[in-house]
Amino acid sequence: MKFNGQRDLLTKSLVVLLALPALLLPLACLLYIVWRGLPGLSLDFVFSSGEGAGFGHSSGIVGQLWGSLLLALGACVAALPLALGIAIYERLLASTGQRRVLASVVAMLQGIPPIVFGLFGLVLFVHALDWGVSLVSGALILAIVVLPTLVMTMIAALQRIPIEHTEAARSLGLTEGQLLRRVWLPQAWHGLVTGVLLGMARALSETAPILFTATVFSGVVWPDSIFAPVTTLQTHIFYLAQEGGSEAATQVAWSSAVVLIALVALFALLAHVIQKWRPLHEA
Amino acid sequence: MLRAWLYASTLTALLAVLAVFGFLLHASWPLLAEQGVAFVAEPEWFPYEDLFGLLPVLIGSGWVVLLALLIALPCAVAAAVLNAELLPPRMRAGLRFVMALMASVPSVVYGLIGLWLLLPLLESQFDLLTGRSLLAAGGLLALMILPTLMLLSEEAIAKVSAEQRDAALALGFDWTRMLSRVLLPQAWPGIRLALLLSLGRAMGETVAVMLVVGSLDRLPQPLYNLLQPAQTLTSRIGREMAEASLGTVHWAALMSSGLALALAAVLISLLAQRGRAHEI
Repeated sequence: MKFNGQRDLLTKSLVVLLALPALLLPLACLLYIVWRGLPGLSLDFVFSSGEGAGFGHSSGIVGQLWGSLLLALGACVAALPLALGIAIYERLLASTGQRRVLASVVAMLQGIPPIVFGLFGLVLFVHALDWGVSLVSGALILAIVVLPTLVMTMIAALQRIPIEHTEAARSLGLTEGQLLRRVWLPQAWHGLVTGVLLGMARALSETAPILFTATVFSGVVWPDSIFAPVTTLQTHIFYLAQEGGSEAATQVAWSSAVVLIALVALFALLAHVIQKWRPLHEA
Repeated sequence: MLRAWLYASTLTALLAVLAVFGFLLHASWPLLAEQGVAFVAEPEWFPYEDLFGLLPVLIGSGWVVLLALLIALPCAVAAAVLNAELLPPRMRAGLRFVMALMASVPSVVYGLIGLWLLLPLLESQFDLLTGRSLLAAGGLLALMILPTLMLLSEEAIAKVSAEQRDAALALGFDWTRMLSRVLLPQAWPGIRLALLLSLGRAMGETVAVMLVVGSLDRLPQPLYNLLQPAQTLTSRIGREMAEASLGTVHWAALMSSGLALALAAVLISLLAQRGRAHEI
């Protein structure tokens, strides 16, 4: 028994030793980013446009902030009706076989790397439909990227509705439309909101698919139309990192990174809070 | 009306998958028509001389993904065991929350970390002129997939039922044996799924890899040299897509790289689903 105790102690120490990098490194990275980014952060940095004194050297990222938010919002607005339709179809009409096919299609959409959707959008939206490098091309590409997230969150929310409620509604003779409006929607709306918020967070973190389909280096604060390109925080950070260069540009990159992380975390946190919040009778 | 909407959206999702493959295949056609599929195994990539061999990037992508998984898996599983089995429940939720937050950090930010933290570290450690290498990309990817890998592994471990654990301990197993004979084997389907998902993520990651891999279109010399600049499927697409013009063979070659990525992703996704079917 004493021998066993020693062996357990050894195993446990080994587990802790191996686990330490996994627990500490990501946290250390986060702290490092904040430490590098904070010196350059100010209200003026976030809310001024920084045009004029040359790319990246003058600060001010309000244009990039708008671009990122517009693209993510566009993506979610485009994906929402589609995702909702798929989720309701899955719960309301699909047979077991169809559910399996649908699950595998959603898993494929989630597994295909975003840059592949970027190439697809480049061929279809930018060139074949001739929308050019534009807000609408980028938003539609990101809509495909976030679609699986939305669908899965919504299906999970619909699944949590007790089967008795649906059966009761059906036995009262409610039509499908009434069932959706009066029973499912009031009980699952927080799932829809969670899905959209997670979708926003996801869309804000994508860089590769919009790199050559929606964005330009600089010079845009607010796009003139949906067929105009935008600048985004993600690509701004990327270009600054790639060009390297001056101390000022490096500082802008780190500070933009802090703003981007804060933005993504904000949406992820909101989603977390709303998901925890359930209608009273479920608690 | 209602049903039309439901059918239409579901069909759109199905069509989207087909359309992605259809359009990429169509866009790669100029290359496939000119050179067949033999270019996949050619070692030379010189767009100006019409050489479009994919072998260097396939090997680059393979190394990078393998490195990332080799580095991340032991740490992630150990962290999952620690969190699920050894830490008090209250800490567990907190740690999971922090990890979920870490998992949502955008990849381009990891690129900054790679560029200004990892590269100088590698340069000083291995006495290199440039730290840009397969090792840098693999290490960075390991960092990126760690949180997700740990969260999913932990879920798999937590799902092993309390009866199984109690039965093992009642049989006189010590903790070590319980871990190696009951916990890990029982959780393996879930860990395998987490592994496949992380594999897909690492393979498809673009911007962070682009910043640290060095973008050198050559086979590593020798093949296991991880400290040289190299290129991966994704970094080549990201690097050259802006230069290639529509309709050229160069364009088609980049599209076919994308097609290769998509095919690999679908293969991984099917493997993952087969695992899931076995589990049930």
